[in-house]
Amino acid sequence: MTWIQRLCNRRRIETDLAEEIRGHLEERVDELVARGVPLQDAVHQARREFGNVMLIEEQARQVWKRRWIEDLLSDGRFALRQLRKAPGFAAAGALTLALGIGANTAVFSVVNAVMLRPLPFPEPQRLVSMWPRSETGPAGPYDVSYPNFFDFRDENKVFEHLVSYRSSPISLTGSGEPVQLRGEIVSWDLFPLLNMQPILGRAFQPQDEDPGVRAVIIAHTLWKTRLGGDSGIIGRTINLDREPYRVVGVAPPGFNFPVGGEQVQVWTTLATDARSATVQPVTRQRGARMLSIMGRLRDGISIQQAQAPMDRIAASLAERYPQHRRYPGVFLQPALDDVAGLARGPLLFLLGAVGLVLLLACANLATLLLSRTTEREREFALRLAIGAARSRIVRQVMTEALALALIGGLAGVATAAVLVDVAVPLVGTTIPRIQQTTIDGRVLVFAMALTLVTSVLFSVAPAARLLHDRLNDPLKESAYANVHGPGRLGSTLVVVQIAVGLMLLSGAALLMSGFVHLTHRDPGFQPERLLTFSIGMPGSEYSRARQLAFYDQLLERLGHLPGARSAALAMPLPLTGSSMTVAFNIQQRPSPPHERPVSNMAIVSPGFFQTAGIAMIHGRDFGDTDDADGAPVVIVNRAFAERFFPGENAIGKRIEPGATSDERGTRMREIVGLVENARQSPLGSRADAIYYFPYRQLPWCCPSVIVRAAGFPASLEPSVRSVVSSIDRQLPLFDVRTGDEILSVGVTPVTFLTALMVGFAAIGLLLTSSGLYGVLSYSVVKRTREIGIRIALGASRPAVLSMVVRQSAILVGAGLVIGIAGSIAARRFIGGLLFGIDGGTLLLLPTAVAVMLATAWLATYLPARRAASIDPMFALRSE
Amino acid sequence: MAPHTDIKRGSAELMVLAAIEERARHGYEIAKLIDDRSGGVLRFHIASLYPMLYRMERRGWLDGKWIEKAGQRRRRYYRLTPEGRKVLARQRSTWRELLGALQRVAGLEPGR
Repeated sequence: MTWIQRLCNRRRIETDLAEEIRGHLEERVDELVARGVPLQDAVHQARREFGNVMLIEEQARQVWKRRWIEDLLSDGRFALRQLRKAPGFAAAGALTLALGIGANTAVFSVVNAVMLRPLPFPEPQRLVSMWPRSETGPAGPYDVSYPNFFDFRDENKVFEHLVSYRSSPISLTGSGEPVQLRGEIVSWDLFPLLNMQPILGRAFQPQDEDPGVRAVIIAHTLWKTRLGGDSGIIGRTINLDREPYRVVGVAPPGFNFPVGGEQVQVWTTLATDARSATVQPVTRQRGARMLSIMGRLRDGISIQQAQAPMDRIAASLAERYPQHRRYPGVFLQPALDDVAGLARGPLLFLLGAVGLVLLLACANLATLLLSRTTEREREFALRLAIGAARSRIVRQVMTEALALALIGGLAGVATAAVLVDVAVPLVGTTIPRIQQTTIDGRVLVFAMALTLVTSVLFSVAPAARLLHDRLNDPLKESAYANVHGPGRLGSTLVVVQIAVGLMLLSGAALLMSGFVHLTHRDPGFQPERLLTFSIGMPGSEYSRARQLAFYDQLLERLGHLPGARSAALAMPLPLTGSSMTVAFNIQQRPSPPHERPVSNMAIVSPGFFQTAGIAMIHGRDFGDTDDADGAPVVIVNRAFAERFFPGENAIGKRIEPGATSDERGTRMREIVGLVENARQSPLGSRADAIYYFPYRQLPWCCPSVIVRAAGFPASLEPSVRSVVSSIDRQLPLFDVRTGDEILSVGVTPVTFLTALMVGFAAIGLLLTSSGLYGVLSYSVVKRTREIGIRIALGASRPAVLSMVVRQSAILVGAGLVIGIAGSIAARRFIGGLLFGIDGGTLLLLPTAVAVMLATAWLATYLPARRAASIDPMFALRSE
Repeated sequence: MAPHTDIKRGSAELMVLAAIEERARHGYEIAKLIDDRSGGVLRFHIASLYPMLYRMERRGWLDGKWIEKAGQRRRRYYRLTPEGRKVLARQRSTWRELLGALQRVAGLEPGR
């Protein structure tokens, strides 16, 4: 009878019950009357014997109603008593679960912080980020120009606010040491977009976008620390890039935009971009794509509804300005999804991997519980025989599992808290919002759900066994325990463990090989003994000529520093992850603007290749004559030459890059040198194609400086600082890093991922081997008597040994076959998730298999040896 | 639930099953039979008899049917099902074993 039927039947049962009790009473009365008792007395006596009918009926009903609560409580008490009686089992189980649930909770808390937690603004679900979209797909952020942004902003009717933003370091002078601040240049309605208000002063207003206005909103921390926390700050001016900016507001504490990056300290409007040192301010260059866009949808409009109108605007822009790169559509996504960015794939991968660890833990526990159930069969059989319902015993087993899971879950949350505390600070800020990882309500609910699911998962096998096996037999069987080995369920569980364990191992091997590949491959330059730094140079005070003179003087002095070998300029620095890509036209194969090839570019000074340690293959380095008056030239790297001039000599070829810095516009440039590949991005498997401009022919502001030291590079920092301040005391130095630091920071996410995955695989291996060991040694214990008889009858010890090994080999073999298939399938699936790490070589899987085999052998050998060393006399007498 | 509760309930179930082994009986008859057979030592608490009957019915051990005979009130008769018969046999053997063990261990010689 199902629960539903029973519920429907309850009323019928109650009326039946009442009628039966009434009948019972009448029967008694009749009997007493027949014996000669007067009717009145008979009724009284029957009532007396029976007790209060109402009360009994009520009690009878209570039997149905309240029993499950009482049963649950007594089950719980009994479960705890059982666990106390088997402390070894309880400890092993709780520890396994603590590891499994702890690791899962920790990873989930990171996923929660990075991907799930809503943006910290009112109605965050209406915030949408917008990228341009070409025929081949979304172009990525930072790819909208000001004129296009203005058109999107004015022409759309689906967004309440549409805001542009781009980051721009800004120097703060005049209040103590000069410092470089993280600044963000935004359109005026950033605060209305986010539905936030400054805690002091006001938000920007439309007229703050007018060229010539210099308004700034400062971060709470900057206000409190550097600017003294004075509430009279509003209306005062501070010097940013040596220009006076009026402070119009102070952001609330904790406020940051863009979300997920480092703390921004000042926000200013695009008026800053509207007056530019170059010929035409970037706010009027439709080709200067540098903006990210976020919008707040109008109330009642969904992303899907916004798509078509925005696409129409994009298409019309592409139509109106055909000389620029074509983006005939836009890509809209919830702003929250944009925050996680590239970290999304790896995090999902981790969540999957750690889920496998939990699966392993469950399989392990199920095995443990299964052997315990077998041991307790006599207890269960007895209880069943004397009237316990089978379902009650199953529930008992499941309650025990739940009790164990709760203990493990609590320990797991504690483990997760420790893991988060220890591991997250190591990651730094390379993964957005990861530093905000906490064990919050959502994480606790997750852990709780995990605990419940886990308890069901690992108690299903034993419970199924209780339901299907003939439990009554063991009572009669006396001590002749079953001789069927670990049983089908136990074997299945071991096979599953080996398969899952192998998948974890091969995943870890994949990441490790990726990691080794990343860290040991040739970055194309020699990072050791390099010191790099940037200088916050205000464009307002540094005209082109002054900037050139400054760098000349700087390089000259740095080159003569004791302990320095040479110095040069580069923009951007290799491996920092920042890159500039610009399209170019090839003289021998000209093409229309939107079909031109695109490549990374960099601007370097003469001597850069030698200072960085990048080998020159052919041609020449830049020299002092490669300046504004000299013939336009570029140097390309090997990847560039192979990609754009395959099978040809690139030297002497001419290209026309779209990058320009003066009124002469773009120019055809001759390739004069070919250098080895130096990597521009820290991740990814392919070498980036790069072409290099001489700094003097493209003096964009502001290149970083690299110094090659004779000894320990970090020790050069004080003298470098004094050189810079001897030229201009107000210039802040920032991003001072050694080459090795740049190298390691770039691979931090991969290091993090690899370390975690190796940890998971190690736990997985431990669980798998202990599962196999447990099943085999349990079966040896159960077969002690049988093995004893075999040996007594003349079986050789090697034969006994091989009997156990054979049993193990079947399980391991089956597990490996499934695991290999799973690994191959999983590899296809995860390839794209992992920062472009390659699928790795075919050698990885055999390595993982070998490790698994070695572990399995260890887990088999010990029980097998014990079996072989059984003393037949002892074994027979022990019964 | 702790085993001693199981034993109490188990013994009651055994008695009820045994009481209807030969033929179907109604609740009053069952209670009376147990009372009589045990010489009044084992007396059923009525409040637990009927819920127990229902429970055993639900497990498919016995079958309850309302029967009206001429000149009698409507009564619910309980009949042993084949499954109930098996359970009875099993429980008998278990109890025999248990009692045997008790006799050996606690010195409960029959008739003492």
